[in-house]
Amino acid sequence: MDLNLVRKLVKLLSESDVDEIEIEEEGKKIRIAKHPSRFAMAPQVAPLYPVAEAARPAAPAAGAPVPAPAPSANIHEVRSPIVGTFYRAPAPDAAPFVQVGSDVQAGNVLCIIEAMKLMNEIESDSAGKVVKVLVENGQPVEYDQVLFILEK
Amino acid sequence: MFKKVLIANRGEIALRVIRVCRQFGIKTVAVYSQADRDSLHVRFADEAVCIGPPPSKESYLKIPRIIAAAEITNVDAIHPGYGFLAENAGFAEICTTSGIKFIGPTHQMIASMGDKALAKDTMKKAGVPVVPGSDGVVPTVGEALEIARGIGFPVIIKAVAGGGGRGMRIVREESELENAYKTAQHEAGQAFANADVYIEKFVEQPHHIEIQVFGDQFGNAIHFGERDCSVQRRHQKLIEESPSPFVDEALRKKMCEAAIKGCKAVGYENAGTIEFLVDKDKNFYFMEMNTRIQVEHPVTEQVTGHDLVKLQLQVAAGERLPRTKIPQRGHAIECRINAEDPANNFRPSPGRITDFHMPGGFGVRVDTHSYNGYQVPPYYDSLIAKLVVYAQTREGAVNKMSSALEEFTIEGIKTTIPFHRQVMRNENFRAGKFDTSFLDSFQFVPEEQ
Repeated sequence: MDLNLVRKLVKLLSESDVDEIEIEEEGKKIRIAKHPSRFAMAPQVAPLYPVAEAARPAAPAAGAPVPAPAPSANIHEVRSPIVGTFYRAPAPDAAPFVQVGSDVQAGNVLCIIEAMKLMNEIESDSAGKVVKVLVENGQPVEYDQVLFILEK
Repeated sequence: MFKKVLIANRGEIALRVIRVCRQFGIKTVAVYSQADRDSLHVRFADEAVCIGPPPSKESYLKIPRIIAAAEITNVDAIHPGYGFLAENAGFAEICTTSGIKFIGPTHQMIASMGDKALAKDTMKKAGVPVVPGSDGVVPTVGEALEIARGIGFPVIIKAVAGGGGRGMRIVREESELENAYKTAQHEAGQAFANADVYIEKFVEQPHHIEIQVFGDQFGNAIHFGERDCSVQRRHQKLIEESPSPFVDEALRKKMCEAAIKGCKAVGYENAGTIEFLVDKDKNFYFMEMNTRIQVEHPVTEQVTGHDLVKLQLQVAAGERLPRTKIPQRGHAIECRINAEDPANNFRPSPGRITDFHMPGGFGVRVDTHSYNGYQVPPYYDSLIAKLVVYAQTREGAVNKMSSALEEFTIEGIKTTIPFHRQVMRNENFRAGKFDTSFLDSFQFVPEEQ
């Protein structure tokens, strides 16, 4: 395996929005990914509208904020376990559950996702500080969509 | 007509429905598991919603996620395809209470035809010939024995909640009955969470012949002729054709009339198929009714010139069925191309397709979600393409299928293409002489692939 090639590919990957490169040549295959442990690679910003042509799941939308530039053990993504509509607060006139800067424990409610007229309280699966809220109030979310970034 | 439809399915049928919607100018919403992110149905829908991880239980069968997806995309209707939730009465009911039109029959019709013993009883009362058997559930061994003696051996013990060939036991002699009864109950309890069984006369080496029916919201019922689906392996259909080489005009008339009677008896709505067993003496018996569009519907489309999925949408939107008799002409055959290895007991063969080329030409149709580079996932059924040919005669259709199969190229995974090629060369198949025991004695010869 050509180490120079590997170095170049790693550099290419870290300098771009691309999450994963796979090259096969003459029976040799190399795959380099930014988040190798995760199944779903695509940054999940506005995934529902309109998913046409090249803007399919793998390609990040131009100008869309990509969460966390580099994977590190400190960063935790809270993902939606269901499909529904995202709400930041328990009621329309109430204060949001969390803000950027809030400290949360595992088990704290971060938001509500409404599905089939039921309000599902979504609990954090990790302790940490909220550094980013990726979804707007009232926005539809799909399964596994990233909702919050926590810094541990 | 609907403005937006969600397709609660995947693979080739999802793409099929999306195509019809596009023709009507209906917007489409695809739902997909993480394993289907690069699937064609996701690519060609107007919107797509990820509903879960790869396992079906966690995605395509997850009713709350599908309904939630329908709500956030504001669809008018859901098309359930086949399999998955297509015959789930609970799902159909939830669609209705959520204000979404379920493209298919009502949940009551699904429930009544889904209970095999009840369905048989309903048909019997409507004057449709049924296989002699118990009147409903057989609760004790003692009754089982009495009924079996009355019908005459061989008999078959079947699960009330079963289907697709599962939860069945054939009993040839009285001495085997008690064990078979208890085993069948145990198996049924495990597989379907319902240990109830019923008993029927076992029809030896029957032909499996089904009638495509349609009902509308105005009480009309029509038929589109028959399909012969006798070429089956372990009760899974592999090849279907229309018309059936075994059915003559007199039998066709009787069977279609019976099917219409059955349809009207339940006030059936939308697409349905009534399956019959036909013995060597051309006696036919109701087996079950499938309350959905079926995999092999293209065969009927080719010989009648009607788009059945389009008709589903029209009927669901409140239109009347055509009043004229449906014409039948020519001959159509479908081969199910599965990602399975016929040289190794049809073992599933998921993986990446490295070379993909479909046949084409006059009277050659391929319904598929596969493409060059597609990664066939291991989580779902193995059907990756349907090759359907149409010709003016059966001989013409068999020859055309042979030549289309020669051209059909799928590399990187094993498929049933080599198997189908050999069936098309088989003397009995070519002569139209086969029943459901055909594949029991068919020997596949492994080739160099």
